[in-house]
Amino acid sequence: THLSLGYFALLCCQQNSYFIPASFGVVWFVMEFGEESSPALAFDKDAFELTVEDVYDISYVIGRDLLKISSTGEDVSDLQFRIVRVLEMFETLVNKYNLSLEELKMERDNLKSELDRVIKERSSGQATQTAGPNQLVVDLTDPNRPRFTMQELKEVLQERNQLKAQLMVAQEELQLYKSGILPQAEPAMVEVDLETPAATQHNPATINNAKEERTTIGKLFSFKRK
Amino acid sequence: MAKKTYDLLFKLLLIGDSGVGKTCVLFRFSDDAFNTTFISTIGIDFKIKTVELQGKKIKLQIWDTAGQERFHTITTSYYRGAMGIMLVYDITNAKSFENISKWLRNIDEHANEDVERMLLGNKCDMEDKRVVPKAKGEQIAREHGIRFFETSAKANINIEKAFLTLAEDILRKTPVKEPNSENVDISSGGGVTGWKSKCCS
Repeated sequence: THLSLGYFALLCCQQNSYFIPASFGVVWFVMEFGEESSPALAFDKDAFELTVEDVYDISYVIGRDLLKISSTGEDVSDLQFRIVRVLEMFETLVNKYNLSLEELKMERDNLKSELDRVIKERSSGQATQTAGPNQLVVDLTDPNRPRFTMQELKEVLQERNQLKAQLMVAQEELQLYKSGILPQAEPAMVEVDLETPAATQHNPATINNAKEERTTIGKLFSFKRK
Repeated sequence: MAKKTYDLLFKLLLIGDSGVGKTCVLFRFSDDAFNTTFISTIGIDFKIKTVELQGKKIKLQIWDTAGQERFHTITTSYYRGAMGIMLVYDITNAKSFENISKWLRNIDEHANEDVERMLLGNKCDMEDKRVVPKAKGEQIAREHGIRFFETSAKANINIEKAFLTLAEDILRKTPVKEPNSENVDISSGGGVTGWKSKCCS
């Protein structure tokens, strides 16, 4: 709650007819009952570090000095009002300076964080600018980068599963031969159904295999498809 | 004479979130073993197990799918051929339970209409970490008119029971066909497992 000097002055003029500058009287009054830190220290401060409170301290000291002079009988009323006017201007300037400083500091911090963000974005991949939403940036130096299409994976998995099925059939047959259940001449025919929708559409190689059924494995089983 | 190795072939499918234990459930059933190391299934894998039900040798070809979203285009293409689908969640993972409705929608979208479904709440040995009450599993199963078991691949609880029950349910729907030929007919383009074409005569 920074009461302006003008307000102090007005208040005192109404309260007493004393020729002592009202504002200084009030400030002095406040200071006497407030903390006992020396208001005179404000004079030693760097001009750019002054706050409005310092201005009040200064006005208090000047007011006290004026009081001393006036007690000797000198008429200082004109001087007193000029000093009040100068102090009010001083107060306004310090206030304005501090506010501007605060604003500039905030703006600087904002720009700083904005800059950090931009730099971070840049370093996290130059391609970011070209990648739209739902697009992935691939690091070409990453040995584990995605390289194969879903279709390729699908085909590899199909082939793996077909070979696995064939192995199972072969193992089963071998077991039968070993146990002597099967005569050597007639291999059993076992159907293994590995049909998937994709196999029907995308794998002409297995279709040929199945049709020919000339290979050993082809005699053992066939693939069916709808 | 060639020896017939099975009477019927049932194709089953395991689906559910990543990490709920689909592969472990299958591994317990097919190999009666359990492995604690988690290796995410790549796309799709399968195992074969032959069981005997009502005097019939039934070959179960069980497809194990990857739960990860990135494999969905691959895994969903396997729904169509499945006669039975096991939907697995993890009783210690609430998210996997919440996703059941998503998996059920997947079944509706990609599987045959008459596919036999079953819900499994796996890892029921981990009672101290349970977050999905058994009653909630039972409720959602009842709402969708499907069977429900709580299982543990690790402790071997209800695993075989679940697979056999699913196989029995499929067998019950399967039109009876006398196995009149000793040879397995591989040349005729009949039904996938050879019974559809000669039923109802």
